[in-house]
Amino acid sequence: MSSSQCLRSFFQLSLDRAAHQSIASRSLLTTPQTACFSISASRCGPPPRKGMIAPPKRGERTLNVKKGKGARAQDTSKRPAPGERKAQRKRIVLSNNNALEVPTLQDLSKETVLKQENEGQVKGLPEAVVDALRAVEAFKPTQGWRLFRRPAILMRRQTMQLVELVKQVEDAGKGAAKQTLRRVLVGERLCGKSTLLLQALTVGFLRDWVVINLPDAQDITNAHTEYAPLPGSQPTMYTQDTYTANLLSQIATANGPVLEKFQVTTKPSLPVPIPSKCNLKQLAELAIANPEASWPIFVALWNELSQPGRPPIMLGVDNVAHMMKDSDYLSADIKPIHSHDLAIVRHFVDHLSGKTALRNGGIVLAATSGSNSPTIPGLDHSIQVAEARKLDPENVPQWNPYKKVDQRVVDCLKDIEVVRITGLSKEEARTVIEYYAASGMLRAQVTDPFVTEKWSLAGMGNIGYLERAAVRERI
Amino acid sequence: MPPRLNVFYLARSIAYRPKPQLQCRIQPAFRVQVPRCRFYSNEKDPPAADRSEKLESQPLGHVSEEAATMAEITGTEGPDLSKGTPVEEVVKDDKEAVEKLPKVMKDALKAKSSSSPPKGSRPYSTMTTQPGGGSGLDVGLVDFKPNTPAPGIAGVKFGLPTLPIPKDAHLKHRYDPVVDQVTNLLMRHGEKSVAQRNMSLILQHLRTSPIPTINPARPLIPGAPPPSHLPLNPVLYLVLAIDSVAPIIRIRSQKGAAGGGVALQIPVPLGQRQRRRTAMQWILTSASRRRNTGSGKGGFAQRVAQELIAVVEGRSSVWERRNAVHKLGVAARANVVLPRKR
Repeated sequence: MSSSQCLRSFFQLSLDRAAHQSIASRSLLTTPQTACFSISASRCGPPPRKGMIAPPKRGERTLNVKKGKGARAQDTSKRPAPGERKAQRKRIVLSNNNALEVPTLQDLSKETVLKQENEGQVKGLPEAVVDALRAVEAFKPTQGWRLFRRPAILMRRQTMQLVELVKQVEDAGKGAAKQTLRRVLVGERLCGKSTLLLQALTVGFLRDWVVINLPDAQDITNAHTEYAPLPGSQPTMYTQDTYTANLLSQIATANGPVLEKFQVTTKPSLPVPIPSKCNLKQLAELAIANPEASWPIFVALWNELSQPGRPPIMLGVDNVAHMMKDSDYLSADIKPIHSHDLAIVRHFVDHLSGKTALRNGGIVLAATSGSNSPTIPGLDHSIQVAEARKLDPENVPQWNPYKKVDQRVVDCLKDIEVVRITGLSKEEARTVIEYYAASGMLRAQVTDPFVTEKWSLAGMGNIGYLERAAVRERI
Repeated sequence: MPPRLNVFYLARSIAYRPKPQLQCRIQPAFRVQVPRCRFYSNEKDPPAADRSEKLESQPLGHVSEEAATMAEITGTEGPDLSKGTPVEEVVKDDKEAVEKLPKVMKDALKAKSSSSPPKGSRPYSTMTTQPGGGSGLDVGLVDFKPNTPAPGIAGVKFGLPTLPIPKDAHLKHRYDPVVDQVTNLLMRHGEKSVAQRNMSLILQHLRTSPIPTINPARPLIPGAPPPSHLPLNPVLYLVLAIDSVAPIIRIRSQKGAAGGGVALQIPVPLGQRQRRRTAMQWILTSASRRRNTGSGKGGFAQRVAQELIAVVEGRSSVWERRNAVHKLGVAARANVVLPRKR
């Protein structure tokens, strides 16, 4: 082979390199073409070992020569969209088409809700109230609403206590002195604290109050929504625009008929233009389009509701223990932010502690939670003190001075009152069991021995366990 | 000739007990019938009659027949043979026979003879039923008021328990047997509480799901209630789904029995618990092959419940599996070894 021919064939080989990868990979000309100067770390790591190749993407067809069990075809169907699984888990179902309609079930109404005769009866919720309660997320997925034809509540003794409070506020509202009542709902696990809060909100909706509910304090403090320091606040407060916007839209949906009646009378200075002849619902709805202005809108709405002649307000929060500790947010100097420094929480806590009163009267309710709540020693102590004070004001337990306590928590719950939720009485248990049986969810003859059996199995009438024993088939 | 006095109707009274049961159980499609007893006296000829050829060695008929024959000979009217004769009538004039009667019958005779109305009047009523209480006739309801205290018995505070004691009164058998069995089959790693929660979720899912549409090609067990009743009674729903696909046999492979290294396939009948266990395991297998659409704790329970609904609606692949086993069993039925007849 002459030298010229050899050169030519070498040249040819280099041209064919692209076409014949197998030859090319062996040829000497395949030195990696890298840039002379690079800061990329692409080749710093060790070369991929055999067998360490990434698995094929989902839905990609690969050669599968295995026999037997492993040869099963890969599932190539579409996965649920992001958030779909959680939505399914948290879905709230309020009706069961299989359940029987209870013919004796009567709805609550504006006139009848305050009557004393309701005590110990199961009452249905009117549809408008159900929609409103759904809007403020008062129903929880763990509650047993999905078993029955439509939502109904038992007017138990503690419910009547709250109804009394509503009456008291409305009676005081006729005079000049408005009343703000503050209560913490406490009780054992599954004894119906959230449901009692829901019942209170129901009464509020029926009596045309403005109802504002924070469905779960954990959502405010667990750092899942964005936050920003509030300019001009001393000490620094933090606003949560997305959460506040969502809260305002809930308020607007749930209280629409009430808010529409009132026009904006003050001249709020907002970063967004307000339409002329704007009513309060439209004001609240401004936040949906402009979440960045949601906190000023919330303050403006609150000012409007504090004007004379406006309806009383019912403020509710569930799982209150989460707003009695440091939140998961961090400040600019990497310190945890106390939950009371979040603007919404501060707003609520000021009303709970009685520092600010509701101008048109109203009720502030905070429900504790038996599951998924942090241990807050200050909160537990304050509840004990409140209960002891009711029995004997002279003899209240003192905090052990050698133990640390969150002083802000103790201060905010200094003179709070407590509604302790106990088990149902046997008559109430009988009523609710009869309702279960009438709905077709319980297949048994409701006799006294049967009721007593279930009542005792439920830990002396704890309604959650009563439901579990009677309806849920939970062995 | 049916007996005039049926002993079985006399002995049976309606056992009525208001059972404090949560669920009603599936009733079997056909009731176990009391086998109709044939007495020797019922038969046309006594069994000895057809064995002996000679007329004189054949035994006589029973008393009524004898009397009837005698009446025929003498030309008078004898007893009606189409009806039996009560023993009391037979022994009416026979003192010796009366003495040898069983004690019960003697007492009955004595009571009958002294059944003249009592003299004088009592200031209180001895009627067991309330006069004018509107309750009507006592139709033989046994144990209607189980909790009436027995004042005469000393040392019994709450009265005696009524007999028979209901099945679910035993601590260890207080739940429905099928629910219990399925709960144990759902259990993994000994976590029974989790299995119980799953069972509860399954029943809840069955209860809230729409009414199933039955596929006529996949009939459920006979005697099944209409589908509209099922969601209101989830335990029945579960039992129905399991029992409908439960195989009645399994195939046992006997090695070396067929010769040439081939296993002989022998169908073996299964008991009720075994049948349910097999069916539930098939259902659980095909449920675990389903895709989990949600997240959280209830995913598996939801898939099992969907599979159960699919079984009732005839969509499930478990049906093919059952049919395959039955088909194989029919093909291999020649291999069944039955005990030799003697």
